[in-house]
Amino acid sequence: MNKEQFEIEAMDFISGQMSEDKRKVFIDFLDKNPEYESEFIALSNTWKMVNSLDAPEVSARMDETFFSMLSSEIEKTKKESTWEVFAGWFPMIFRPQLVYGMMLLGVGVAIGYYMNFGGDATGVNAAIVSKETGDMRQKLVLTLLEQPSANQRLQGVSEANKFEGVDEKVITALLQTLNNDANVNVRLAAVESLTNYVHNPLVRQGLVKSIPYQESPILQVTLANLMVALQEKSSIEPFKQLMQEKKLDTTVRKKIKNSIESII
Amino acid sequence: MHSLTDNTLMMKVKSGDLDKLGLLYERHKKKLFGFFYNLGNNPSVSEDLVQNVFVRVLKYRKSYSGDGSFAAWMFRMARNVNYDYHKAMAKQSISLGMSPDDMKVGAEDHLNDGYENEGNKVLLQKALSLLPDEKREMLVLSKYRELKFSEIAKIVGCTEGAAKVRVHRALKDLRAIFLQLEVA
Repeated sequence: MNKEQFEIEAMDFISGQMSEDKRKVFIDFLDKNPEYESEFIALSNTWKMVNSLDAPEVSARMDETFFSMLSSEIEKTKKESTWEVFAGWFPMIFRPQLVYGMMLLGVGVAIGYYMNFGGDATGVNAAIVSKETGDMRQKLVLTLLEQPSANQRLQGVSEANKFEGVDEKVITALLQTLNNDANVNVRLAAVESLTNYVHNPLVRQGLVKSIPYQESPILQVTLANLMVALQEKSSIEPFKQLMQEKKLDTTVRKKIKNSIESII
Repeated sequence: MHSLTDNTLMMKVKSGDLDKLGLLYERHKKKLFGFFYNLGNNPSVSEDLVQNVFVRVLKYRKSYSGDGSFAAWMFRMARNVNYDYHKAMAKQSISLGMSPDDMKVGAEDHLNDGYENEGNKVLLQKALSLLPDEKREMLVLSKYRELKFSEIAKIVGCTEGAAKVRVHRALKDLRAIFLQLEVA
């Protein structure tokens, strides 16, 4: 055993890191080598002395300082971890799929906004369309009222009822129908249609003027009731004119007479 | 016997359970304090250096791999703390370490009453303080039973055999100084 090997094995022995077999071998070596043995004894004593080296007790101040530091570090870490959690959302938020989703949503919102903004324009357009529709319906009414078929003329009157506000052309057409249509039902429908516009002086005048031209008892009674309801005094003269007709139905004559009395 | 090993506790600290550092502190504070004290630092400085070690443990907890013992990792850090401290003090030309005489006074205050030869202990402290820093460090590290020579070797950066030889020779030098002091 050379010197360095002895130094190594001596340290293994005194530090207790040597196996039992090696310890025996080492002890045998020391027994056979007194100079190494004396060195080993001296070394072992010094080792024991070093191991006996003590240090003062630590102060309470050291504990306080440490736990204060640890406490503040824990608080700091908690705050940081809150931020980390928040920051942890960013990778999720900025995933490509989500970005595309957000872009699509943005495009959708933009289109929606544009569509909504165009709503006013659409409103104007709707008004235009509505006006155009009204014009088309007016033409339809006028066209239908000129049709030879009574059904179509009735349909024309029915279409006229769908107007909220009719113009002079339609009123004129309805009054012409009331005065000239060959079919009683069409004329009756025309009266009913015109009753929707009695606030219009043109309609009231037209209705009054049409009284002498009516030959159908049902139309005569209908107009009589309407004039009573309207308390239209201008209708008295036409009714008196009608009463002079010899062909006038007796019941109708009584009805007109009563009506004239009611209006007066 | 600790229910949780140092490594387990340190891994918990690494994962964010910082409370566990308190347990590690309780287990190792005296050894660390003794390490710094026996390296020649006065008690107050030794306490500050212990504090610095645990500050570094917290700071570098993410670098703890769990390979090797926690004690070896901690003492490597302690060694660096001591080195940095004395380097900084040297720059400031201030010595807060204890002279052999200071050490004698300090040691007398804290000597264990059970010792038969109180004078030997004082002399030993003085002899230790007269050793070169590297040798003193080897002796102080080898004093801790939980540190194997293989771990001491890693701490100081040498082979295991070289560590044993260095400790052996440091013991011989210490004895020589001790005997000189005893004669004087």
